[in-house]
Amino acid sequence: MATFLVDGQRVEARAGDTLLVAMLRTGVHPTGGGCLCMGGDCPNCLVTVDGIAYTRSCQARATAGMKVTRDHLGGEEPALLSDEPMPAGNAAPVRHVHCDTVVIGQGDSGREAAREARDADLDVVTLDARDGQHVTGVYPGPLVVASDQAGRVLHVHPRREIVVATGAAEIQPVVPGSDLEGLVTARAAAGLVAAGIDLGRAVALGESPAGLPADSLVAHFPVGEGGWELVRFEGNGRIEAAVVRRHGDATEERIECDTAVLGLGGNPRNALARMASDLPVRVVGGAAMEPELPACPREGTVCPCSRVTVADLDGVWKRGFHEMELLKRATLAGTGTCQGGVCLPYLRSFLLERGGRLQPAFTARPLNRQLTVRELAAGAHTAVTARSPLHDEHLSLGARMDRAGGWWRPWTYGRKDDEYRSVRERVSLGDVSSLGKMAISGPDAEAFLERIVPTKVATIRPGRCRYVLMLDERGYLLDDGMLCREADEDAGDRFFLTSTSGGSGFFELWLRDWAEAFGCDVRILNQTASLAAINITGPQAARLLARAGARELPAFGRHRATPIAGVDCRVVRLSFTGELSYELHHPAADARKLWRRLLAAGAEFSVQPHGLETLLRLRLEKGHIVIGQDTDYDSTPRRLAHEWAVNLNKGDFVGRQAILRTNKQPLDKRLVTLRADDPPPRRTAEDPSAEGAAIHDGERYAGYVTSDAGTAAGGGRPMLGWLYLDAEGNLPREVTVDGRAARRIDGATYDPEGERARAVVDTASESPENVREFPLARPEATDLAIEAPPGPPRFRQLEATRVSATPAALDALIAEPPWPAGALAFRTAPDELLVTASPDFEVAGDPHAIVERETAFSYVWLGEATVERFLDRECEWRRPDARPALAQGEIAGIPAKLWFEAGRTLILTPAPFAAAFQRRLTGSLAEIDGVAG
Amino acid sequence: MNEFVERQMKLTWRPPKKSYDVVIVGAGGHGLATAYYLATRHGITNVAVFERGYIGGGNSGRNTTIIRANYGIPAAVRFYQRSVDLYRGLEEETDRWLMHQQKGILWMAHSEGAVRAERMRAKLNTEFGAQTEFVGPQQVKELCPQLDMSGGGRWPVLGASYHPQGATARHDRVVWALAEGAMERGAHVHQNTPVDGLILDGERVAGVRTAAGDVAAGAVVSAVGGHVSRIAAMAGLRLPIRTHRLQAFVTNHYRQQFGPIVASSELFFYASQTARGEMLLGAEIDPQPSFSYRSSHDFVQDVCRRALCLLPFMSNLRVLRQWTGVCDMSPDYSPIMGQTGVEGFYLTTGWGTWGFKAIPAGGEQMAALIATGEVPELIAPFGLDRFARDRTMADRGSAGTH
Repeated sequence: MATFLVDGQRVEARAGDTLLVAMLRTGVHPTGGGCLCMGGDCPNCLVTVDGIAYTRSCQARATAGMKVTRDHLGGEEPALLSDEPMPAGNAAPVRHVHCDTVVIGQGDSGREAAREARDADLDVVTLDARDGQHVTGVYPGPLVVASDQAGRVLHVHPRREIVVATGAAEIQPVVPGSDLEGLVTARAAAGLVAAGIDLGRAVALGESPAGLPADSLVAHFPVGEGGWELVRFEGNGRIEAAVVRRHGDATEERIECDTAVLGLGGNPRNALARMASDLPVRVVGGAAMEPELPACPREGTVCPCSRVTVADLDGVWKRGFHEMELLKRATLAGTGTCQGGVCLPYLRSFLLERGGRLQPAFTARPLNRQLTVRELAAGAHTAVTARSPLHDEHLSLGARMDRAGGWWRPWTYGRKDDEYRSVRERVSLGDVSSLGKMAISGPDAEAFLERIVPTKVATIRPGRCRYVLMLDERGYLLDDGMLCREADEDAGDRFFLTSTSGGSGFFELWLRDWAEAFGCDVRILNQTASLAAINITGPQAARLLARAGARELPAFGRHRATPIAGVDCRVVRLSFTGELSYELHHPAADARKLWRRLLAAGAEFSVQPHGLETLLRLRLEKGHIVIGQDTDYDSTPRRLAHEWAVNLNKGDFVGRQAILRTNKQPLDKRLVTLRADDPPPRRTAEDPSAEGAAIHDGERYAGYVTSDAGTAAGGGRPMLGWLYLDAEGNLPREVTVDGRAARRIDGATYDPEGERARAVVDTASESPENVREFPLARPEATDLAIEAPPGPPRFRQLEATRVSATPAALDALIAEPPWPAGALAFRTAPDELLVTASPDFEVAGDPHAIVERETAFSYVWLGEATVERFLDRECEWRRPDARPALAQGEIAGIPAKLWFEAGRTLILTPAPFAAAFQRRLTGSLAEIDGVAG
Repeated sequence: MNEFVERQMKLTWRPPKKSYDVVIVGAGGHGLATAYYLATRHGITNVAVFERGYIGGGNSGRNTTIIRANYGIPAAVRFYQRSVDLYRGLEEETDRWLMHQQKGILWMAHSEGAVRAERMRAKLNTEFGAQTEFVGPQQVKELCPQLDMSGGGRWPVLGASYHPQGATARHDRVVWALAEGAMERGAHVHQNTPVDGLILDGERVAGVRTAAGDVAAGAVVSAVGGHVSRIAAMAGLRLPIRTHRLQAFVTNHYRQQFGPIVASSELFFYASQTARGEMLLGAEIDPQPSFSYRSSHDFVQDVCRRALCLLPFMSNLRVLRQWTGVCDMSPDYSPIMGQTGVEGFYLTTGWGTWGFKAIPAGGEQMAALIATGEVPELIAPFGLDRFARDRTMADRGSAGTH
């Protein structure tokens, strides 16, 4: 016996009772009346269970302690006003099941279909509502989504076929009084009697009900063609009598009763099949039957969900709503919980009689059974915001992190003014690890890049770098970055190209697509996650680096490979802040070490890291654009005043044709630098910035401000903005911003000559006693043959090598591996290899191969039993059967590579995702063990 | 009986004629609005609207019924503000209950970059006549008490742009009122009558081929959604349009307690409560072009997950129904309206995810163009020729969310 509460009243349930049966046994009826079907086909038994409204009480098991409210809307629950946060990790996992055939419904036809499939040696999954398995939808994939008894969500992935064996629903009565209590379908009556519930004086209408003792009926009227006609039910809230008459005879017969048992025929439950018409679906049994159209209703409620009557249908019909869909939309019939389960046959018979045309059923849409938002969210993956290898360093320095361009970036360390001054007056560190970074080599590398960027690449000499734009085919700016040609003559034509943080996600695809389209023989290695990058900027930048052991630093516009503070670095000298700047690109695994050593070496200069907010101000004072902030979808280099970065005479490149065409159009607007003098444009504490403010040229609206830090530097307050040319085709010089005067200037407000960024530096002047030496310690590659340490599985740093080379060269390399035995080599793509060995080998078959140390991954070994349980729960896709095998894809929304060996599996994930993966792994294994225990 | 059963509108169907002054292809909101404004503003009633299915059966009956003008470029703000204003008067003008409800839109920001974008939106909107202000977290919470301001601990609400004129109206009723208004003045609407071809007379369009035979026309307007590329091809035009799926879903109906429309362009979803009490959720278009009307489970799954970050009260609400429309996307996220270079052939397309909110202004302006032959100033920037002239109307304000 389980005791639960219905509107505060105690109700006892017997073992196996549904909520509805337990309630009816106690004499408690769901509100609203109507014929009960006990098959989940109608909305007449809806209640609220434990705060979850619209719960079908005929489909829910009665369990002890349940709190049921008969108001199916949830009662006057405060739930709709709650802002209580969801508990962490609110998206429960989904259970994925892979099979050949899924059979929905386990009546006679469903069992038969399952048996046939099993006999054919197929892997079969069966789902049945009577076991608490409710199918909410059938989707492309194919994918069958269902909930199970425990309220978990199942995703069934059949490889061959979906069999819909959901049987037939019973047609409900539509006559006056059909919304009284005390009406049940023939099947429901049998169920209630079997559960020991006394129906009182029962009258059977329609087909003779099976499973009812003959003496329980006070009367039976075979309602239907040629027989009796149901006229109405009488009663006050509850049925007191049924009224019938013979067809063609006006004489009514009134039978007093406590229960009316309706056997009005069947209607196929084919919604799942209808919503999946173009999928491999087979419908069998009752679900496949032709719908029986009931007689056109005369009076009464047709749609109990939306309370639509025959009079309502008539009203809209007379107003010209003659299509099934218009009838539905104009009355809302069929738009409630049962999704037309009750009303659809009647709507069709109504339209047939009125219009003389049998119209098809309206579209069946998911959800066939309604899950809650929380249940539906199960298994959803929110995109992981990428983290720099220095993320924790920023947090420990008190940074406030902000999402920008798909990455967590330090917005400020809480000392904005000092962050700014440290760059302008001393020296500062900035984390720019989120830049996209590509190594590009190959016989066609130069020719390829000439076609990718609008800058002349041939004139970039070895060891030099240049700012480049990247355009789309329409000549609009996609991204910008810097292009470095390797200094080492042996490296041949090898380049290093960066993109902005926001562009790093699609950068590789973009380059590879063009390489393929152009047919260029190039190797491309995405090092975005492999390399961290720290910008050392400020007048003392070179001295700081010298103290950290830098021997030779590149001049402006150059780069060189050199160890700094014991870390292999590529040092690039360009400047975004306007100060002397060195960008240090280095292996991700060394980032924290390098960051800390640089901070230590700079202590004497009061080095202070700066956040993104300060960086945006610094570059604004130099007039440097930020993609996405200052640019728009139609930003051509001409509009951006970046014609200097476009060489139209060098041959074709992406966007050149469009630029030639659009250059013939008169220029309409230009991105300009404005300088406001005192008093500055309006600023408030709430909104210190004029970004978005209108620019006026006299009375004329002339554009808007895209960048304004709300701060003034030596030469006034700088702003960037779009300025429209006037009717004569001129750019105004004097304008107003927010009604205050501003002047368009041609250079930057800060150091317009660029002397600070280009300063000639003599690093040798640093006195030797100040220089700390750091031995360069190159770590050994990870030996994956070593057994994992005892204890719960934990991700660890992988020390490895990544190779980009021609497929043939990689084939040859793998055939005779130069690396030590025991190292593992993963062919992650035809032209890419990941080896757990040190990068001290060459690829004999490809002189242009890129071989680089790779520290971007973390790894964990899982034993066979563990990995199977984990992947069963978290992995949507089918895993390989062979051993060994490499697979890659997302697991719980996190990119991963899986190496399956006999008995164990290696999981690799990019290091910035390792923490998220670890949480998922630990949590998932704990829950699995919890369930198993 | 429920209070939403239609009791006012009267649709009058008439047999097709052999010739009309104006033939409009597509009896969705834009096609019917064009007929309505031709009749009411210009007295042009020898008009037929041909529809391959039933009226409002395309995106007009599949959208999420939001009306707003908080766009990202001056021309769009002006145009959509005109639509907001027309919508506000449409119930009175048609004397029909359209369930128009001004409820305000909150566009949430969870990062400094988004705060900046919403501040810019507010200033630009204000400059061009749409009321929008940037509001801080405290005011956001007052406007929508259900919000978890911590964003589930991961998407804190740092502020929002608030557009008080943001509204909803029942999409079907808007369609029907416009159809009724046009029909009662003499315009014809023909359902279940696909247009299979255009009749060309040299360089100009002279009529349409329909399932009910050839029909002559002085002017032909394509107001179709989803398959505009096919209609345009009949006139020899290639359009810069890609068609994408857009999905949405509703929960069951609950008591009316949720005030504004809330949107987050970083969590990529938006939510409002319908007059009937359903919570209505939508998100961005599917990234791959498609003509499919199939709904997907991962859409509901992802949007539920994201919505719970901001609106945890929804966790126990049951999702009732999901559906899909197909959106004609232009490369600059702005509509294409006006002449086409083929005489007598007009286009209104590129309505992406912003078609419903533009129905009255789109119809009014297209009607003015057809009636006068002059391109109205309000839609002049949205002509098809803008792509060749490098005068695209790149609008981030339209592409954010819906």
